Amino acid sequence: MHRWGMVIDLDKCSGCQACVVACHAENNIGIIGPEESAKGRTISWIELIPYIEGEYPHIKARLLPRPCMHCDHPPCTKVCPVNATYKNEEGLVAQINYRCIGCRYCTTACPYTVKYFNWYAPQWPKEMKGSLNRDVSIRTKGVVEKCTFCSHRLLKAREKVKAEGRDLLPEDYIPACVQACPGGAMYFGDLNDPFSTVSTLSRERRAFRLMEDLGTEPKVYYLSEGM
Amino acid sequence: MKINRRDFLKMGGGAGAAVALGGGFWKWSQFPVAEKPNAPGVEKWIPTICGQCMGGCGILVRVIDGWAVNIAGNPLHPVNRGTLCPKGIAGLQGLYDPDRIRTPLKRIGKRGEGQWQPISWVEALQMVTSSLKELRKNGESYQLMVLGGKYRGLMRSLWERFLEAFGSPNYIDNQFQWEGTPTEGLFLTQGIYSTPAYDLENVQYLLSFGSELLESYWSPVQVLRAYGYFRRGKPGQRGKLVQIEPRLSITGIKADEWIPIQPGAEGILALGIAHMIIKEGLYKKDFASNHTFGFEGWTDENGKEHLGFKEFILSEYEPNVVSKKTGVPVDTVIRLAREFATNQPSLAIGYRDRPFHQMAVSVLNGLTGSIDTTGGILIPRNVPYQAFPPFKKDTIAQKGLDKERIDGGKGLRRVIHQPYLFAQNVLSGRPYKPKALFLYYTNPLFSNPKPDLFSKAFAEIPFIVSFSPYMDDSTHFADLVLPDHTPLERWQDDPLFLNNGFPVLGIRQPVVEPLYQTKATGDVLLTIAKLLGGEFRTALPWNDFKEVMAYGFKGIFEAKRGDVFGLQFEEAWTRLLQRGGWWAPSYKTTEELWKLIQERGGWWDPLYDFGEWERIFQTPSKKFEFYAQGLKRLASSPLSKSNGDPSFLPHWEEPKKMSDEKLYPLHLHIFKTMAVTGSRNANQPWLSENFGPHLLERWITWVEINPHTAKELGISEGDWVWVESTFGKIQAKARLYQGAMPDVVNIPFGLGHASGGRWAKDLGANPYHLLGDDLDPLTGNPIQRSPRVKIYKA
Repeated sequence: MHRWGMVIDLDKCSGCQACVVACHAENNIGIIGPEESAKGRTISWIELIPYIEGEYPHIKARLLPRPCMHCDHPPCTKVCPVNATYKNEEGLVAQINYRCIGCRYCTTACPYTVKYFNWYAPQWPKEMKGSLNRDVSIRTKGVVEKCTFCSHRLLKAREKVKAEGRDLLPEDYIPACVQACPGGAMYFGDLNDPFSTVSTLSRERRAFRLMEDLGTEPKVYYLSEGM
Repeated sequence: MKINRRDFLKMGGGAGAAVALGGGFWKWSQFPVAEKPNAPGVEKWIPTICGQCMGGCGILVRVIDGWAVNIAGNPLHPVNRGTLCPKGIAGLQGLYDPDRIRTPLKRIGKRGEGQWQPISWVEALQMVTSSLKELRKNGESYQLMVLGGKYRGLMRSLWERFLEAFGSPNYIDNQFQWEGTPTEGLFLTQGIYSTPAYDLENVQYLLSFGSELLESYWSPVQVLRAYGYFRRGKPGQRGKLVQIEPRLSITGIKADEWIPIQPGAEGILALGIAHMIIKEGLYKKDFASNHTFGFEGWTDENGKEHLGFKEFILSEYEPNVVSKKTGVPVDTVIRLAREFATNQPSLAIGYRDRPFHQMAVSVLNGLTGSIDTTGGILIPRNVPYQAFPPFKKDTIAQKGLDKERIDGGKGLRRVIHQPYLFAQNVLSGRPYKPKALFLYYTNPLFSNPKPDLFSKAFAEIPFIVSFSPYMDDSTHFADLVLPDHTPLERWQDDPLFLNNGFPVLGIRQPVVEPLYQTKATGDVLLTIAKLLGGEFRTALPWNDFKEVMAYGFKGIFEAKRGDVFGLQFEEAWTRLLQRGGWWAPSYKTTEELWKLIQERGGWWDPLYDFGEWERIFQTPSKKFEFYAQGLKRLASSPLSKSNGDPSFLPHWEEPKKMSDEKLYPLHLHIFKTMAVTGSRNANQPWLSENFGPHLLERWITWVEINPHTAKELGISEGDWVWVESTFGKIQAKARLYQGAMPDVVNIPFGLGHASGGRWAKDLGANPYHLLGDDLDPLTGNPIQRSPRVKIYKA
């Protein structure tokens, strides 16, 4: 069984946000616009989070691309009253939009704040509608959405390898953000395979995870900057 | 030899590149040819070139039922190897921008009222042609001006050819200064007036003098890919980056060290470092003696003795002098010099500052001999296009071409273009006033400092035609709009080069049928030429722009070098053969080349020839010049008041005091971010939404203030404030930022359009309104990048 995970090498990351926009395009994320953005209602399944500490001129600053951590012990699934969010057998924390009742318990429970609520039905001008990704459903008003590790790509890849009568290879399934990353800072693959790139890197000296003390066991690893 | 997928991955070098290359989604063999009809329900990935900036990335556009639904990087394209930047992906929003101009528009009502009448192409072309004929009839052909922005390739040759046949010397490059690369630095030291290649992948120590590498480099994906490799691509050798800049930018955040410096003082710091390198004898002596000119004192043919660079720098730029001017501690200056000289290969890279400040950065590379070396400055070959066929100019054209250029430059090609002098001369009417202005890929009313100067100039020009596909600040003041296709709808070539100096030719092809009644400007020019008749038929003998490309590409075939894009092992093979003097491309005929170029996205020549010094140094001395002799060739313009030796040596030019320092106590530093760079992506919500990631700012213009300064001024986080200079004032949201120097405030460029689409118009503010127009005599661009400002609550 696969256990999908991601590694982000902060030393190669340049903070360009290609991942952010690639995700928007891939997953039909609604255009929020200036007014609603000012209320903090922007949706960004993966977001570049700045950490700026210290005082001029001694500043320590970090930029951290933050997708859903797809925790092995996700706090969000435990609070969902309708089982709209759950962890599947491959370790992906999934979200069933049509089951969601919009209670937002999960958005509160998630320590990484990766869950986003749809305050309105997402709107696109009619000229843009045809350019939405046909592989991803559009969310409705009042549901919570989040990063899926582009699981629709996994479904497509499964069908494809079945048709070709072969096993799933690592390069058959990568999320849009990893594909776009110009610095080659993002890696994706099977953490259960001890020889996969992600597993090797996750055991590296520089590897760390966010808020490890919470015991959520995130499947997104970061590699710190510097030697 | 059988190669399986796993071997591919190993060959890919960096694992990231391998993932993208071996990606099961986009095997090159699955690439469809674009010209196949679009069957319903069929999904295709069509290779083309991104048009969102000058980067020249190869993209694959996913097309379903005639709709472009996604954009991914083309894994075969050597510029980006399957990856993209945020702008590239947002190209979809450029195509499906709901506020695009859909037909030719004729102005009704007054200029700038924004009242337009849609007209047919027949009528629009009639309007242009009759006014052009009128100009030629009256012998006023030189009064046609073309203001051209940032684009490359045969389209530029076509414009120049058109003006040559028409009889106007006035093609004016409006590639605005700070957005460019340090071109003048390269010209003064190596005699080449273009962009060099920086072999960033192989640099060990990168010293950046205010270069916004990770935000607004001309080819963003190339530099970001290089950055990943620079940091972790060479096991055990992590490249070091030092950022010298007045503000903690994204590049500064990612750098190993950020050195805050007074705005505009980067050049003097470079000279201080040069001083220490020379003083401690750390420069490369064999390079200095074999390949440079003017390092030591010299005597010219008249027996006159001249000051050497070494002597000049040793006497003028002591670290304590430099430290006083820059605010950088003396020990830092000394340390940087030692680090730079001893960590080879090292590279100094600047921004397009004033020419002699650029030169100050360039000479650091001369001192360490990082010219034409691995990890140094490389001079790429040009893409070998076939030259346009000769034609005979008629008498009207000849007369017109003999006129002086309106911006004071000379001739068509070998000039420094001076858009500001153009605007000023339009106002003064000297040497003459223009009768017609064409705007192609440029928006001076937004993207040039002191846009008001251009608005005033525009008011003096009776006939303005814009070719923009989007309504923008400048098009708003046009009389006629002939909307271009957007990049995803048209044919175009895109010649550029890689960081390692390899020339690349990408091909842009339509991925969808044009959405609206627009026409590619290349095709429009050719149609106008047909309508004008006469010599235009021999000067521009093609029917459409695709024919121009096919014509130019014959040169590629005849050059007998390079190959179409291929997988990496194929490329290695090509390179190996070519080194041995063989050439075995994947194509046998020009037709095959044309077909393969379309399938794979382009052609390249994966070889860099080191040591061809006549290509590297095109200065009068055929050497790297510490003393800019080449300047004398250009010195017809009033260059420097004093004509002594120091004015030809890299030196620091003290900025003119602009306004009362007590009244305007702060410096303003204008910067750019990765997502929003200019006009052409103004109306793309995915980009405006990610405008300022380090402060999580979206959709608005903010001003970064040091928290201590803000406290003194009584400004709190999130207040709306006025930022005022002697030239104007704008409103912005105050953000307290520890990365701001106490006496410098920072405003991002990008928003504040007076006209445009629903996500662009009237959002944010344009800091260029705060700048003046005191011009540098060499570049004709404004000097003052950092005006003094005051800030108060709105």
